[in-house]
Amino acid sequence: MADSTSSPAGPRVGVVGIGHGVFGRRSDASVQELAFEAYREALQDAGIRPAEIDASVIGAVPEYHKQRSVGGVIQEYLNLNPKPTWLTEVACASGSAAIRTAWMAIRSGLHEVVLVIGCQKMTELSTAEILALMGRVGDVQWESVFGTTFPGYYAMFAQRHRHEFGTTDEQLTLVAVKNHYYGARNEKALFRKEITVEKALASDPVASPLHVYDCCANADGAACLVLAAEGRARQISDKVVWLDGLGCATASMSVLRRPELTGLPSAVAASRQAYAMAQTTARDIKVAEVHDCFTIAEIMAYEDLGFCAKGEGGAFIQEKQSYIGGSTPVNVDGGLKAKGHPIGATGVSMAYEIVKQLRGDCGERQVPDADLGLTHNVGGIGQYCFVNVFRRD
Amino acid sequence: MFEWFGKVCYSPHTKIAAFARYLKDGRIMASRCDQCGYRSFPPRADCPECLGGDFTFEEVGGAGRLLTFTRIDAAPAGFEDEAPFIVGVVDLEDTGRLLAWFGETVPEEEISMGMPLQVVPRIFEETPEIKVYYSLERPGTSWVKGDSA
Amino acid sequence: MTYAYRDLFDLSGKVALVTGGSRGIGAEVALELARQQCDVALTYRGRAEAAAAVAAAITEMGRRALPLQADVASFEQTDRTFQHVLDQLGRLDILVCNAGITWDGVIWKMTEKQWDTVIETNLKGYFNYNRAAARIFKDQRGGKIVNISSINGLRGKFAQSNYSASKAGNIALSKALAKELGKFNINVNVVAPGMVLTEMAESIPPEFMNLAVNETALGRVATTGDVANVVAFLCSDRARHITGEVIKVDGGQYI
Repeated sequence: MADSTSSPAGPRVGVVGIGHGVFGRRSDASVQELAFEAYREALQDAGIRPAEIDASVIGAVPEYHKQRSVGGVIQEYLNLNPKPTWLTEVACASGSAAIRTAWMAIRSGLHEVVLVIGCQKMTELSTAEILALMGRVGDVQWESVFGTTFPGYYAMFAQRHRHEFGTTDEQLTLVAVKNHYYGARNEKALFRKEITVEKALASDPVASPLHVYDCCANADGAACLVLAAEGRARQISDKVVWLDGLGCATASMSVLRRPELTGLPSAVAASRQAYAMAQTTARDIKVAEVHDCFTIAEIMAYEDLGFCAKGEGGAFIQEKQSYIGGSTPVNVDGGLKAKGHPIGATGVSMAYEIVKQLRGDCGERQVPDADLGLTHNVGGIGQYCFVNVFRRD
Repeated sequence: MFEWFGKVCYSPHTKIAAFARYLKDGRIMASRCDQCGYRSFPPRADCPECLGGDFTFEEVGGAGRLLTFTRIDAAPAGFEDEAPFIVGVVDLEDTGRLLAWFGETVPEEEISMGMPLQVVPRIFEETPEIKVYYSLERPGTSWVKGDSA
Repeated sequence: MTYAYRDLFDLSGKVALVTGGSRGIGAEVALELARQQCDVALTYRGRAEAAAAVAAAITEMGRRALPLQADVASFEQTDRTFQHVLDQLGRLDILVCNAGITWDGVIWKMTEKQWDTVIETNLKGYFNYNRAAARIFKDQRGGKIVNISSINGLRGKFAQSNYSASKAGNIALSKALAKELGKFNINVNVVAPGMVLTEMAESIPPEFMNLAVNETALGRVATTGDVANVVAFLCSDRARHITGEVIKVDGGQYI
């Protein structure tokens, strides 16, 4: 595994600019206009001109867009032709895949300054088209034929977690309560109101034991990062946040081939890689963004990432350990639950928040002394997992 | 032929299409690699162990235990008429694992983790096309009524 | 292959129900199925002695026989009849619907009763029995149904608007059922005889019989055996891939 600090292998990679659009039902904007919102903010934040960008990597999931080959359209609208660009797609982890690819491009010396855009429009499709896509998340040959859905899969994990560890429905909803609490304080989030446990438990059932309030919402939106090689990064910014640890792992598409159903093995593996590469441990992480597509996913993430022991995820949230002031604040920007989940953008949105935390710019949501942060971005039901560790020197 | 399998079939092109024909005749088939003997359920044409591409179908008994389940209330397109329905994942005694709907012999209140189940081949009776599937039933249930198992 | 090819038309271990089995085509079908090792239940409306004679001939072959009085037009009687077959013979694998009547007349003189009686016996009767058999065959994932029709259901016959309509109805009924029941491994076919030497035919004046003979390509009319042979073939494994089909047994009377 490569060393995170500069070495003959290649330069350290840092984030010098960040940008984030407002997530929501953005019927006011096309996918390229959404991308531009985040791009504009990132470039202003970095204080660089477009000419200084060498290449861009775009994370988005094509099947939700009417526009084919969405990467090319974004590149054109951002006026970045003829610079290189390409799309990375791994379902809901597409944004993090774009970050990893940009890191590789810089580390290899191929490019010096790379733009990363995570971008997604989900509301161009009709409800019927979205419902049809919903059924094709797992193994299309052996599972979708029975009408399985994305919430259905996570629900089956929740049933298992409940059976093995006694995790309660109320503990699940506490995750949503926390994330809506912080989402109410994040002007970029889709949902800006707090919720109660009672309201969550009373919401319509989706797939037992999950209710509507256990599930994130589809949304449109974009987020953007500017990454640079160390020398150039220090020239551009005096508050560089370093991407020092990267981990990536996969697991079977089908639940039929998972060793167990109470956690995501890809998250465990990816996090161990990232910790090793950044020469750190779970204990040192001051603030984290995890993939709470469903409340159970956040509980499993606490365990998979090593923030608590296996099976103790329910207790972790119940004791408020993932609030600011707890042992590891998690999703203090509202998470997927309150921000909404434009699937290609989420990974980059997570990085945006972590970088902002490590710069000390989060106001009332600031985690004190945040110098090491983590993003945990999952594709599907853990088919893909990308874990990144960021450091502020 | 594989389009016979399931309420909605998204992906009918496959090397293991004959699985559906066997299911129509009441038999659930796993695959066995001709080269190294690796067995798989669901069946697969290509062996992950020895990379072989030749396989033979082998019948499995269909007995197993419930690993997990969920009742799906919000159904995807094509399944609206079935909602709510309960899907379960079963570890098969023979080999492998399977996901299917619960059938009539197992009422919702009797579902419990680890319970023994029998996977039974089924026919969608009132569709004009041939459509088949399997369901999770009480042990001892056979796909033919009136048959002593 | 999961299907085992058996010897010729061997039906051993199987049970058949033949309607109108006390005489004519029905009786010969019952006997032929028994010759192929099948146990046979047969219905009759009034001819108890004739039915008993057929049953006796079957038991003499070493097969079980069950004569049953039944009015095939009665929907509510049908379930009892089938239950009786299952109780006595243990199972059912084959249904041959054959019971039928004629009541000829030109339409401008035809009474309502003439029409209704022929339709009820010939068409509703087949519905009653096909329905009851389908429910059994579906659960056991297998069965054979042969519905006897007539070439007069394929063409029209003078003074037989009611009979022709009922026989044509049998054909369409069978085709619809072939589609409904195929997925359960049930074959549904039609045999459409032309003129057959039976008791029913004995009441036909000789000049009309000659007309029939001259219509045929083979210069003869069918025996009941000619029809029974084809029915037995359709009930056998050799015909496993034939369904929704209409086979004429008419010597080329109507081509």
